[in-house]
Amino acid sequence: MTSLYLTEADELQIKMAQGAKPGEGGQLPGHKVDEWIGKVRHSTPGVGLISPPPHHDIYSIEDLAQLIFDLKNANRSARINVKLVSKAGVGTIAAGVAKAKADVILISGHDGGTGASPMSSIRHAGLPWELGLAETHQTLVKNKLRSRVTVQADGQMKTGRDIAIAALLGAEEWGVATAALVVEGCILMRKCHLNTCPVGVATQDPELRKRFNGDPEHVVNFFKFLTEELREIMADLGFRTIEEMVGQAEFLEVKEDNLANNFKLKGLDLSPILYREPADSSVGLYKQEEQDHGLAGVLDWKLLAAAQPALEAKTPVVAEFPVINTDRTIGAILSNEITKKYRGEGLPDGTIHFKFKGTAGQSFGAFNTCGVTLELEGGANDYFGKGLSGARLVVYPDKTATFTPEENSIIGNVAFYGATGGEAFIRGVAGERFCVRNSGVTVVVEGIGDHGCEYMTGGRAVILGGTGRNFGAGMSGGIAYVWDVAGDFAQNCNPEMIDLDPLGDEDADELRSLVQQHLELTGSSVAKFVLSDFESEVGRFVKVFPRDYKKALAGKAAKVAAE
Amino acid sequence: MGKPTGFLENTRQLPAKEAVENRLQHYGEFVQQYSAADLNKQASRCMDCGIPFCHNGCPLGNIIPEFNDAVYRGKFDEAYEILASTNNFPEFTGRICPAPCESACVLGINQPPVAIEEIERHIVEIAFERGYVQAKQHIVRTGKKVAVVGSGPAGLAAAAQLNSAGHSVTVFERDDAPGGLLRYGIPDFKLEKSVVDRRIRLMEEEGIVFRCNAEVGKNVPVGDLLREFHAIVLAGGSTIPRDLTVPGRELDGVHFAMDFLKQQNKRVGGKSTLINPYQPLSTDIVATGKHVVVIGGGDTGSDCVGTSNRQGAASVTQLELMPTPPMERTPNMPWPTYPMVYKTTTSHEEGCERQFAILTKAFLGDENGKLRALQVVDIQWTGAKDGRPASFAEVPGSEREIPCELALLAMGFLYPQKEGMLDQLGVETTGVGNVRASERTYQTTISKVFAAGDMRRGQSLVVWAISEGRECARKVDEYLMGSSLLETKDAALQFTI
Repeated sequence: MTSLYLTEADELQIKMAQGAKPGEGGQLPGHKVDEWIGKVRHSTPGVGLISPPPHHDIYSIEDLAQLIFDLKNANRSARINVKLVSKAGVGTIAAGVAKAKADVILISGHDGGTGASPMSSIRHAGLPWELGLAETHQTLVKNKLRSRVTVQADGQMKTGRDIAIAALLGAEEWGVATAALVVEGCILMRKCHLNTCPVGVATQDPELRKRFNGDPEHVVNFFKFLTEELREIMADLGFRTIEEMVGQAEFLEVKEDNLANNFKLKGLDLSPILYREPADSSVGLYKQEEQDHGLAGVLDWKLLAAAQPALEAKTPVVAEFPVINTDRTIGAILSNEITKKYRGEGLPDGTIHFKFKGTAGQSFGAFNTCGVTLELEGGANDYFGKGLSGARLVVYPDKTATFTPEENSIIGNVAFYGATGGEAFIRGVAGERFCVRNSGVTVVVEGIGDHGCEYMTGGRAVILGGTGRNFGAGMSGGIAYVWDVAGDFAQNCNPEMIDLDPLGDEDADELRSLVQQHLELTGSSVAKFVLSDFESEVGRFVKVFPRDYKKALAGKAAKVAAE
Repeated sequence: MGKPTGFLENTRQLPAKEAVENRLQHYGEFVQQYSAADLNKQASRCMDCGIPFCHNGCPLGNIIPEFNDAVYRGKFDEAYEILASTNNFPEFTGRICPAPCESACVLGINQPPVAIEEIERHIVEIAFERGYVQAKQHIVRTGKKVAVVGSGPAGLAAAAQLNSAGHSVTVFERDDAPGGLLRYGIPDFKLEKSVVDRRIRLMEEEGIVFRCNAEVGKNVPVGDLLREFHAIVLAGGSTIPRDLTVPGRELDGVHFAMDFLKQQNKRVGGKSTLINPYQPLSTDIVATGKHVVVIGGGDTGSDCVGTSNRQGAASVTQLELMPTPPMERTPNMPWPTYPMVYKTTTSHEEGCERQFAILTKAFLGDENGKLRALQVVDIQWTGAKDGRPASFAEVPGSEREIPCELALLAMGFLYPQKEGMLDQLGVETTGVGNVRASERTYQTTISKVFAAGDMRRGQSLVVWAISEGRECARKVDEYLMGSSLLETKDAALQFTI
């Protein structure tokens, strides 16, 4: 996600899971990822896209809360939506998500969406949305959290009746996808993954796309009928607004005959779904108040004030701020404001140069855009440079520190997760999951933990030190140069998708200039050592070259040669 | 699926047909075979849809994508096995079905549909050629006896299924050879009778007994049937043709289409055209040298056109009451329904003038009582709200005569013949005159008597008749044995424990 994408959004959804394919989500197989899609998604054309990925930045509810905070910083006007799969216990999760300050919670049922699911996902599909929704609403009401969040439900809602039931069970918003798609001409071919959709709905093939004959009027008509039916049901039940209707589960009745006459349904007890959590009038049953996202006192307001000349007239600004570890997501609001005015281009390089001293909190520099340089003397926590979007981050230890920087951690785990552009120079060692899903950042670091460069699709990583195990798993683009002093790097790699090559001349030039920059910006003694005898040290570097990327580059070169 | 992009690379192509001037010289079939490469290409066009609408379009529920795939892979034994699992007689439907499956083909939304019917014909012909089609040996007999009355597609399908379930089946046919309309309705140039014979021989090998020249209710007493058989399937067809009772109907030269077509099939088969056990005719009806007018624009009418042309008619005109149908689907007949669009059959290709929205007012005769002309008038249809024609009025001043020495009435069939078997059995009939039996049970008002095919549902397609025969057979089997393993659309390969 770039700062521009985030700034443009009305709503940002964190897809923890979709009902039809929990843990994996929509898949776009490699042969459907053409140049254009590759560009939009910041990935390598020809390499499959799986969304959502396993969220490597989310291992606990606190991590989720941090991401919600990051996104809220990156776009204050967007609602933050968290999508959860309908399953037993989803109510507890939803309560946690509400406390983590999500604005919207989406309960996704097992139905629908299965056309693009791989078999492995379908086998682990969730439960019907009715079950998860009822549980979620009841739990939120019981914990007096319901009035803070909007609850949505989806998973093959097709009729006004579906929507009415969803409203009575506690959802004030609903997702309709498959039905609308069918109205546009989808004929459930289940060939979405083959790029051969004969009605031109789910294909990138220009010939097949010509065969699409859907009409927006049909979709409008469909929704008109859908809402008309809902309105009729509401009139029958005596509701004037959806707000009145949300969570009034006692208006639902069980068709006892259906249960009694079907051998599968016999003995089914639906009362837990239809249970209405007792709540007095002080407890809201639908979204009535805004979450307190805690943005009022963040450091970024000071940054923003200092950056006014830059924002207004691109005048370079330099300033210094002390930081402590409760200063989280530094620079995101600033970047949001820059992006609003200067779009994806941002400001000219070096326009804003802020220096920080101390220990920064989580997500230092998250979603920071072009023209911003953040220099940090001290250290930083997790998610350093998350979603970095064009800015330059420089970090080195406190000048008075006595430890050896290249032997000590200076930033936390999951640095540069999903970063799309910019550069960073780190005088010290980073934690685990370094540069996961990086698609464009150029970064120099002096050692990393496990799972480095996993699912990386672009950018450069120079590692002047050791790595943990499982390096380069699922890496499909970009290049990593690793200074393999101990000679054990190959053992730490996941060789499934990468080749370990020696450096060519061009690589060596690129490496030298990056190390040179690292030396200049951080005063790194490691960089100094490497440069002191670069001709011989370059032989100890390993080039991690993803095979998919190699193939894509070769294809591009062949194309240029042909022209 | 064999080839995901097959439908992008190849377009629909039908096998070559003999040139019109050549095929008019004989009564044999004239559609040629695909080359192996072409067949492969046509099969590769099948898209193996997530929701294969062709299954539903086909009254038999043929498992079409699977056999297309087998053909693409060159596995004709497998293809035949899949095809035969839902269709007892693919060699008939492969030739003469109007292919509702192709109308429902998903590719047909915006491209010419897969040539399913031709692929079907090739599968079964290749299967016969290579010896994959063999009579079933070692059928365990149940000791139950079933009579099937009528040997058209419904009767044959019911007989084949019941026989494979182990019952001893006797088929009663009032004509001199089994097949019903397959034998004495559909012309040889569309379905050669050797194809029918080939299937009948197989069925006989499997143990089915055919009793021809046996008209139940006439020379076979109804009581004998009820006494001797554990169950009876009525599959006598919808045989009473719709008449045109206008002045001059009695003139010499006005005939029902079926009388004309049947005589020609007998002639081709080397049999006497005048010996006809239940419907004696005094003269040969021939079109040679005559101006022929076929009244009725359906498939039977089309068969009359082809036969008349082969007999050497001076001219052939086909009249249709309804207005000219649209060339393409309209919003009233969306995919995947069977569209009522303008259709040019192979017989039309052979030469014929087609007139639509024409009402026949009278047959005009000469002094010898022979037909000389038709008096017709143009009509103007007014559409109902949904766009379909609802009522008509004559166009004033458009009355005219069409010279004509032979008029053939091909305006469909009304209901089964009541006189004889049905009357004697006393089974209840529906308002329109078909035998009353529901689609759920196929059982008539007499518990051991079942009905299938046109006799139950009214005039319809061969493929529907086969479907009815199969579905009915399952119900008969359940009635006799308490349960059944016979495949039907609802219970394919479903084993009850």
